[in-house]
Amino acid sequence: MQCHKPSDTTIDPARFAQSEHGAFDCTFCHTTGFSKFPHTGTRAEMRDCMDCHKERKLARIAQAVKASVHAKMAARAFRCTNCHSPHYFIPASRMKDVSEAILVANQSCLGCHAKGDTLADKDLDLARKHAYLFHAELHLQRNECVACHTAPGEQTMHLILPKSEAVKDCATCHAQNSMLATKLYAHLALKERTQQGFVNAILINNAYLVGANRNRWLDWGAFGLAGLLLLGVAAHGLGRWVFARSRRRRP
Amino acid sequence: MRRDFGPYPLWLRCWHWSNVLLFVMLLITGFSMHFSRVGPPPVTFRTVVVIHNTAGILLTLFYCFFLFGNLRFGNARYYLITADDITPGMVRQIRYYLWGIFLGSPHPYPHNPHSEERKFNPMQKMSYLTVMFLLFPTLIVTGWALLFPYLLPNEIFGLPGIAPWALVHTYTGYSIFLFMIVHTYLGTTGATPGELFRFMWSGVGPEPTATLRTPDLGERAGSHGQVTAQKDHT
Repeated sequence: MQCHKPSDTTIDPARFAQSEHGAFDCTFCHTTGFSKFPHTGTRAEMRDCMDCHKERKLARIAQAVKASVHAKMAARAFRCTNCHSPHYFIPASRMKDVSEAILVANQSCLGCHAKGDTLADKDLDLARKHAYLFHAELHLQRNECVACHTAPGEQTMHLILPKSEAVKDCATCHAQNSMLATKLYAHLALKERTQQGFVNAILINNAYLVGANRNRWLDWGAFGLAGLLLLGVAAHGLGRWVFARSRRRRP
Repeated sequence: MRRDFGPYPLWLRCWHWSNVLLFVMLLITGFSMHFSRVGPPPVTFRTVVVIHNTAGILLTLFYCFFLFGNLRFGNARYYLITADDITPGMVRQIRYYLWGIFLGSPHPYPHNPHSEERKFNPMQKMSYLTVMFLLFPTLIVTGWALLFPYLLPNEIFGLPGIAPWALVHTYTGYSIFLFMIVHTYLGTTGATPGELFRFMWSGVGPEPTATLRTPDLGERAGSHGQVTAQKDHT
């Protein structure tokens, strides 16, 4: 950083310091060929993500990426860093809230997958592509692209499907057994799923989903009242019938 | 002898049965969305939403027609509550449903097609006022808000902006469902179980057959000035 002062580098040092890799020296990744100027190192000589991230979870992610449409379409050119910035990456669990996680995740996708020069143009293009959704803008703002563009049971969210295979059944999310609880909110899995009677309470952090966010106490209360009313009117009706019959029999 | 049942003109009956049909559709589709589940449903979530939204928009139009009809044709006057409706009106009506109806006592506020001032008994007035002028507007306003969720504030009382509207909408719908159970049952309390339903369908009802004064209920005829004897209610 003696040469790459904050003013003349493309990397924002403050954001880098906050990121998951913020504690590393630059040369931890930028290894061979970067100690002298001009640098002779190339990207091919740099450390690969998998050199460090060898744990089992990452192995599952690597398998999912290989099977994804990204790997099939872009083959070897597609790398982790195409989506995950090595300089600014922060895991969702460290973000301020779910909205921030969605924004960051979707920005990765929009870099390649939306036409238009400005953000507004890209939003318009995306809204057009997702016009089959009710309130497409809301869905695009409050959900991660990969929630629907990966298979429902695929929790790493790296097995990106071709668009023809994207999830289109509304009930996949709009139901008590909502897919979002295991995808978008997987990092909050330890938080209670039911709070103050709401099923999928963690989803209410971000939006209210018809079908996924109902309150059990209010439901039981309403059905209990309906049951009592039905019993009441049945008993009342029976009483009327019995009394009327006894009156008819009376001389 | 039968006659046209004036207080139930054609426009009101058309609105009533359209409202029944639409509300039942909204109730079924509403339950379907509220309790939706993953898996192959008989009708997809998307189709259910389309039916629910369409029925909701139609219900709003019919509700506007109901309001217009009430003002234009004078039906609104039947909803006006008088001091007598609260006490002794409500007491009489509740006492009748809890006791008198079993003994075959005359209805304290019988249907009187001649009356220009009273069509509903005090309990009907209270419940119809609550349902038609509090619950239905709440249901309609929150329903329309949910048709345009991106116009709602992002946050209300710490909840995402959509949540309070959706919760009020859902549980107002439940409340009207509870009303419907009682409303339908009390529809069977005419001279025969089907009589009041036929009134509401055809607008034609029987001429009052006799009048009487009953000492235990006192002067209870309200605006009629007399009490009409009812047949056996069951």
